[in-house]
Amino acid sequence: MQRVIACLLVVAAALAVEAAPATKAARAAKRAEKNSGQPGARLPAAVLEAPASPVMQVASVDRARRPVVEAAARQIDSLLEQHWHEHGVAGSEPLSDAQFVRRIHLELAGQIPTFDDTMRFLDSKSPSKRADLIDELLESSDYVSHTYNFWADILRLCERPQKDLFFEPYLDWVKRSIADNRPYDQWVHELLTADGKVWENPAVGFQLRDKGMPLPYVDNTVRVFLGTQIGCAQCHDHPFDSWTQHQFYELAALTSGTRMRLEGAVGKKKGMTKEEAKEAALAARQANTETFRQVRQIVVEANQQIRDKKVDQGLRQFINANLTSVNYHDAKLLLPHDYRYDDAQPLAAVAPRVLWGEIPTAAAGKDGREQFAAWLTSRENRQFARTIANRMWRKVMGVGLVEPVDDFREGNPASNPELLEHLTDLMLSLDFDLREFIRVIVSTNAYQRRAVLHDPTSATPFRFTGPALKRMTAEQLWDSILVLVAHNEWAFQRPTVEAYAARAEGHLTAPGTSYNDVEQAYERFNQAFSKKRYLTRLHKNYGYQGQVLVRASELPTPLPLGHFLRQFGQSDRESIEGGRTVATVPQILSMFNGPITHSMLVPGSALHDEVMSHDSQQAVDVVFLSILSHRPSAEDRSFAIQEIRSAETPTAGIGNLVWALLNTREFIFIQ
Amino acid sequence: MKHQRHWLDALSRREAFARIARATLGVGLMPALSRQLDAAAVETPARAKNIIYVMMHGAMSHLDTFDPKPGREEQGETKPIQTKTPGILFGHTLEKLASLSDRLAIIRSLSTETGAHEQGRYLMRTSYPMINSIRHPAFGAWAVHGMGKISRDLPGYVLVGNGNEHPGAGFLDPALTPVPVADPTKGLENTTRPRYLSAENFDRRLALANRIDRDFKERYAGQQLDAYNQLYKDAIRLMGSVDLQAFDIAREKPEVRERYGDSQVGLGCLLARRLVESGVRCVEVEFGGWDMHRDVFEEMDEKGRQLDRAVGTLLEDLEDRGLLASTLVVLATEFGRTPRINENAGRDHHPGVFSCVLAGAGVQGGAVFGASDERGFRPDKDPVSVADFNTTIAAACGLPFDKEFHAPNGRPFKIGGGGTPIAAVLA
Repeated sequence: MQRVIACLLVVAAALAVEAAPATKAARAAKRAEKNSGQPGARLPAAVLEAPASPVMQVASVDRARRPVVEAAARQIDSLLEQHWHEHGVAGSEPLSDAQFVRRIHLELAGQIPTFDDTMRFLDSKSPSKRADLIDELLESSDYVSHTYNFWADILRLCERPQKDLFFEPYLDWVKRSIADNRPYDQWVHELLTADGKVWENPAVGFQLRDKGMPLPYVDNTVRVFLGTQIGCAQCHDHPFDSWTQHQFYELAALTSGTRMRLEGAVGKKKGMTKEEAKEAALAARQANTETFRQVRQIVVEANQQIRDKKVDQGLRQFINANLTSVNYHDAKLLLPHDYRYDDAQPLAAVAPRVLWGEIPTAAAGKDGREQFAAWLTSRENRQFARTIANRMWRKVMGVGLVEPVDDFREGNPASNPELLEHLTDLMLSLDFDLREFIRVIVSTNAYQRRAVLHDPTSATPFRFTGPALKRMTAEQLWDSILVLVAHNEWAFQRPTVEAYAARAEGHLTAPGTSYNDVEQAYERFNQAFSKKRYLTRLHKNYGYQGQVLVRASELPTPLPLGHFLRQFGQSDRESIEGGRTVATVPQILSMFNGPITHSMLVPGSALHDEVMSHDSQQAVDVVFLSILSHRPSAEDRSFAIQEIRSAETPTAGIGNLVWALLNTREFIFIQ
Repeated sequence: MKHQRHWLDALSRREAFARIARATLGVGLMPALSRQLDAAAVETPARAKNIIYVMMHGAMSHLDTFDPKPGREEQGETKPIQTKTPGILFGHTLEKLASLSDRLAIIRSLSTETGAHEQGRYLMRTSYPMINSIRHPAFGAWAVHGMGKISRDLPGYVLVGNGNEHPGAGFLDPALTPVPVADPTKGLENTTRPRYLSAENFDRRLALANRIDRDFKERYAGQQLDAYNQLYKDAIRLMGSVDLQAFDIAREKPEVRERYGDSQVGLGCLLARRLVESGVRCVEVEFGGWDMHRDVFEEMDEKGRQLDRAVGTLLEDLEDRGLLASTLVVLATEFGRTPRINENAGRDHHPGVFSCVLAGAGVQGGAVFGASDERGFRPDKDPVSVADFNTTIAAACGLPFDKEFHAPNGRPFKIGGGGTPIAAVLA
């Protein structure tokens, strides 16, 4: 055994040294390692030890609700069983414990279980061990990370959607909202109505994402939260659906008063007498004139300094970011000049109106944007609940009852309307608690069955006799590999709202701020957050062969096209749900020969240490359990042992086995 | 035979393949190999044997490129310039292309119904609207399906850009999926085994993986897994192929790179030329950054010039190498941009009318087909649908655009979407 271990170390070291860094980033990382006195191609120290304390606060799951959850799951099962009976199909076979532990980790934590997770679960004799594990995972930081990736794909989350939009606080806020398990309807309402700068009120990020594009904003918002595509009607009556261009404009009129530029002080307040209001307005105007003059001076000076190359272009973006702030004043929206239908004249003002239903009475006296948000997120607006119920169902079961999940319309009915309405009721009865909703679905027998093939082109609808077979998402694959490599996957988290705010605020409008003050603030900001410094730090502290070994949710986005995550289909964060799971040749080459596959053979990797801590007789089982979460069949075990024996060295044999398991379809597909 | 102007003639290629096959993969692949070569040796009547398809991601403004409106307020800061073709004007950033206008066929009267990016790209690439129940093949997949691969080791179809939302092979064989190259300067990465790993050991690993995976593969046999299974084979074939150097633009002289320009599209076009030269049937180059809702004239100054330099040089380079007579170059966009300049000095989405360009094999140079109205708002003469446009491409390649192909769900489809080829732009 000792010999095996010694060899393993030698081979692993050789592996690590010989895989020459091919990319510019890799070379930079190598340089960084050299400068820091670390030998190349070692795992970064930060990932070698498990974190001592919990990495984040996550709202706890109410164990007392378990009977309610289970009853809700049984209801879904009985609806499905009835559906199967009607269509003459049967559920696929129930998952074994080993299959369950892997699937549920991927589903809720976004990664495969560790060797210990798997062993603990397999060895447990508790009758409630599945429910216990579900609850435990739902309150883990891994759940937050995985759910963040899910929303990042939908909300197009990235650090710089435009040069002067600094989105780090918004990204952190989304993550925290998940950790706090905020009710979805309240969360969406806040996204649609938030005011201020992004580091003052990070929820403004949603409105800012489409800055300068108020009509596409309405289209995207309706598509994401109401599962309805009205985009065509922006330019003309919808060709296949009932939406008219006029209706699109009526809806858009509700949010057309949204402004994204910092506004001056407003003097008048409700309840003031006429005299008071007049005085307050005058005072505000004077203050605004003063502020305006100050800001203009700063901008003029900044432009001069940039022209003289005394300071870089980034200062302009810093200033613009400081002048970007969401606010709202009712404003008229006009039809386009080329409006060509008979129901109105071009350039006529449009009266605001919702697409269906009524604006809730509670919002009747409020401004257009408040009315829009109140209508959209209302319990009475059943399509809001239906859309998210269908979306979360698809997240877990792999296929929506309506597909695509953002294209509800008459010609595209649900495959099981009764179930969809039932799930909508469930969503409402849970008061939009998305985590609890998922807790119910993963507790169904239907979920805890083996995956079945889904052919989207088939004429027969998917019957949910088990979840659809899915390839891991790019993020699931990355985070799963991280399980095998890093003892600490949470060595780094993206900056918090507070840390960011402390550096990003330039106080441009505070009385007495000079250009020099702003330039200094910009320098301070740059120290921490300039792209170059930020990336250099990441590579220096967490880099291995040009890869930054932290959770996918914490990596900068969008990642460069050639990054492992992008190869495997991570979204460019430009199109809504742009993530894909289709096969390409570079993916396979990456798994064959890329640095990531080899990172787990390096001394100090989680897999390496796990194999080392066991008797050599157990090496094969440990490798199987670590990578595929099950023991090998007797036949595969003896074949693997044979293979190890006949390899040049036993370690080369183990290396071959690791490589082979990573390159199975079983590894990247979720059964 | 035109395709034999490659640095290896058919015979020496065959020998080279055989040598590589023996060295790395054993002789088991030989029968498949000879089939491939025989297929490639059959002369097809079409003139275009290769396609380079440049896709303007984000939607290219027609007014600022190939369809300017001199003297109109809508023209903004773009100045129309005279091209080599009398009476035909381009936007001022397209100087080189203006001097090459006798090689180009310009279609100025395309229009679609969709102003959404992804849907627009999908329609252009597949000729069919994006719907849920089926994924249609992109044109490149049809081309390789219809004309076969040229090189045995190299893929038939390469995409320089992001493979994520590309329709790829659609319902055709997953092997027709384009191989994405994310960064033209890096080419195809991870194609060599780590040095410590011998060929024998690599084969052992594969055998081991296949053995362990057999139950899973059997249980879930179907399209999802087949796509991976097939691409594993392609990846293995690629590794160790001498033709891989086609992906390495560092092998080009610096002055050649300089001519194409150090831009995404410049390097992409250079890579495309290398690949076509080495026997890749179809290359698509994605060129992003055209979604100019803000500051369209500033942006055009950058993107327009990059496009001009890249595609202009590509045409010259192909011509110098005698490849333009067998290579069709397509310049396509999702849709056009509004004639009206918006409050952010940008232009918004405008599917109402837009321009695309063809050049090279099978194409009538100097042709202009169709026209938009005086503002560039709607087609005014000879409106062209996306299906007509793509059927024209199919015709230029000699593909059977009238033939019905049946998808696995039984529905009939045509290459090019059942349009009418534009005779006036075909050679």
